[in-house]
Amino acid sequence: MLVEVLTRLALIVAVMVVLGVGVFAGRQRLVRTVREWPGRVKAIAPITIVLVSVLLFNSVARQAVPELSWLIRKDITWAIYETEGDLILWLQAQATPEVTAYFSFIYIYGYVFALIFPVVIYFLLPNTRPLRELFTAYTLNYTLGLACYVVIIAYGPRNLEPELIQALLYDTYPQYQHLTRQVNRNTNVFPSLHTSLAATVAFQAYRTRKVYFGWYLLSIPLALSVALSTMYLGIHWAIDVLAGIVLGWIAVVLAARLVGRWSIYEAFDDAGGLEAMPGGRRLRSLFGRQ
Amino acid sequence: MATKKRPRENAGDSMSGRRAFLASAGVGLSAATAGCLREFRSAVNRTHLEQLSVSITTQPADGDRQAIQIARRLADNLEAVGIDVSVPLRSREEFLRDILINHDFDIYVGRHPGASDPDFLYETLHSRYGEEAGWQNPFGYANTAVDDLLETQRTADGDERQEAVDGLLEAVAAEQPFVPICRPTDVRLVRTDRFDGWRADSLSTRLGYLDVERVGEANRLRGTVIDARVSKNLNPISAEYRGKDPLLDLLYDSLATREHDGTLIPWLATDWDWDGDDLLVSLRRGHTFHDGEPVTADDVAFTYRFLEDTSLGSSDVPAPTPRYRGAVAAVDSVDVEGDHELRIRLNTGEAVAQRVLTVPILPRHRWEPRAEQATVRGVRIAKGTTEALITDNVPPVGSGPFEFGDRAEREHLTLERFPDHFTARDDVSLPAASVDRLRAQIDPRSPSAISLIETGDSDITISPLEAYVYDDLEESEVKRVLETPSETFYHVGFNTRSAPFANPYVRRAVARLIDKAWLVETVFEGVAEPLATPVPDEWIPDSLAFDGVDPGVPFFGDDGDLDVSDARAAFESAGYRYDGDKLVVRE
Repeated sequence: MLVEVLTRLALIVAVMVVLGVGVFAGRQRLVRTVREWPGRVKAIAPITIVLVSVLLFNSVARQAVPELSWLIRKDITWAIYETEGDLILWLQAQATPEVTAYFSFIYIYGYVFALIFPVVIYFLLPNTRPLRELFTAYTLNYTLGLACYVVIIAYGPRNLEPELIQALLYDTYPQYQHLTRQVNRNTNVFPSLHTSLAATVAFQAYRTRKVYFGWYLLSIPLALSVALSTMYLGIHWAIDVLAGIVLGWIAVVLAARLVGRWSIYEAFDDAGGLEAMPGGRRLRSLFGRQ
Repeated sequence: MATKKRPRENAGDSMSGRRAFLASAGVGLSAATAGCLREFRSAVNRTHLEQLSVSITTQPADGDRQAIQIARRLADNLEAVGIDVSVPLRSREEFLRDILINHDFDIYVGRHPGASDPDFLYETLHSRYGEEAGWQNPFGYANTAVDDLLETQRTADGDERQEAVDGLLEAVAAEQPFVPICRPTDVRLVRTDRFDGWRADSLSTRLGYLDVERVGEANRLRGTVIDARVSKNLNPISAEYRGKDPLLDLLYDSLATREHDGTLIPWLATDWDWDGDDLLVSLRRGHTFHDGEPVTADDVAFTYRFLEDTSLGSSDVPAPTPRYRGAVAAVDSVDVEGDHELRIRLNTGEAVAQRVLTVPILPRHRWEPRAEQATVRGVRIAKGTTEALITDNVPPVGSGPFEFGDRAEREHLTLERFPDHFTARDDVSLPAASVDRLRAQIDPRSPSAISLIETGDSDITISPLEAYVYDDLEESEVKRVLETPSETFYHVGFNTRSAPFANPYVRRAVARLIDKAWLVETVFEGVAEPLATPVPDEWIPDSLAFDGVDPGVPFFGDDGDLDVSDARAAFESAGYRYDGDKLVVRE
């Protein structure tokens, strides 16, 4: 069943990405990419390795997160509930089957598309900086998010008021349970990582609006829909979503400052830079060009 | 915890009072006399009154969808009578650890494993067990009259016992150390196109998964379990990880096994006889544990000794088992009278003594080394915490009809048929494993467990379904809904070790804030039986029959709506005072 759900997900997102590239990127960029891709791959390789390592570490660490959280026991569920009250309840009162279908689609397919699509279109740019920034921002989202999850225990709305707040996604489309439980733990709702990553994508789309104006226009409603969907489906509190937006903003701002500050390639090329580091001389004699 | 003393919020006020006094003393110093100072001290050195605040510990909806709803209704009603309430949420393991091991709670709402014999109340309420960790007296309840009644029913048999039990249940209902709420009906969905002959009333015990009829070639039984704990820990005596676990019953044998009607049939023991107060037990010959070691009388004797104190005397503080405590306490000593012969000396009547036969038999060679104190480098562990109590016990080595196959945390637990089990012998006519493999898929939500049944990816929901999906269940050619009353019951437990719940009048007043019949209709969709006393129907005395309302502690109000003035009057007559809307106590 999981394989079935995953295949469907991959197919639908692939179709969306191909369509999106056609609409927003155009043929010329594709042609140029075919010529220039090795240089671009080399440029993004270091940050890609960092991101992949963080993701791998994340998938292992998430098994241990609940154990650590229960040792620390900082539970903020009721503090959240008392602050925002019955906002989620009101949101769900607006539910219709069509809206549920829309937000379920957004939560699963829209979200995955939002994460993958900018990677593809930024790769089509001769300047690799937007993509390096995006990967850095993803990395920051996952590391900062994981840190929050370790320290803070918070249960989502559906866990508090099951009779009032439906777990709309899982009860309407039970098959997705098998997909999301691979990554989600029920004590990890603060902040909403769905929101923070979608916000990251939208903030970055804003920064690249001169190149991809159409994508910028699409990314805003898409990110808003993802944020709303997490609340509408009873998975997150409004406060988790706000915290997610803040986290996404922090990640983009930090990424803009960090990217380009250190270059592993320059370090190898530039003997002075490398030798300034402790042990750099030995590194240089191993890897560097004389 | 809420009842702990907090720093006095009004300390500032009393300081300014004191300062004002000193100022006036400066003006008319000659007027200040010793008597005046004495009155001043008497007024100032009194503790302040503060609103009573309590916590209701429970699990979030993912852990127990019904309990959180009961807890929130109770919290609303407690707030209505002027008590400040918090509702800490705990994961399944943390919940049980807080309640059963650390006794760190004021009130909790949860599910009790229950039992078919009322003697389970002995370990649940006897004052002797108030300090032990486990299902034995988590309430810290102590009452000499109830202790006497618990002991009387334990040694009696027949009508005499029935009478003693009636008296006990009435005394407990009057005291309300915990409030029984209802006994849910276990509802399961099964497919009948691969396996048939499901026995609805045995599916929470080992017998439900033996002798399953195979339709066609299928020899792998696939089921779903809501609770991921069986994929993490397979320790048969763990308090935090064990609920009603038929899968553990399939891994470990007991001397006898209980049929759904409560009668015991021989299992690992071929038979047993009474010799005065002693039970003479003969074991099956030639049976082995899953690792090939023989099952002997020595293992059985070890099991009872070990469960009495899992440190086997090596710890300064005894470390008794957190489960099966009442059964083990019935055993005075066990004499090994041959490789397969035992004499069990008992201190109870025959009816209660039968419980002794249902304890899982542990292999001595695996568990004896676990009698050591658990150690974690750099951390001081509580005395009496043995390795046995905290081990995950993976892979488990028992002697049951299935052996451990594989597991992945939060994904599945897979058991394989143990081909050498005695039930597989030609000359033994007991239910035997009829499938090669039993895979329990962890599926934390009822709708997805149902969808696995519908798509044919699962044959049975091993864990009962949650109440909110009952309306959507449909039967078909290949799908059947099985219903059976559960032994488990929902209850509200009080920490009677300290104020305010040391006071039975307060407990009774709180019990009357709970509308059991209404909770059954709303939270349980009507698929449960409200209870005034937590024992199976055949043991309920007429005086405690639940007939629309609770006979002892009826709800203050109707249909879930609280009559606040009646409820407040009950707290006032229990001796509590109100300051405006707030119920205040000395902090």
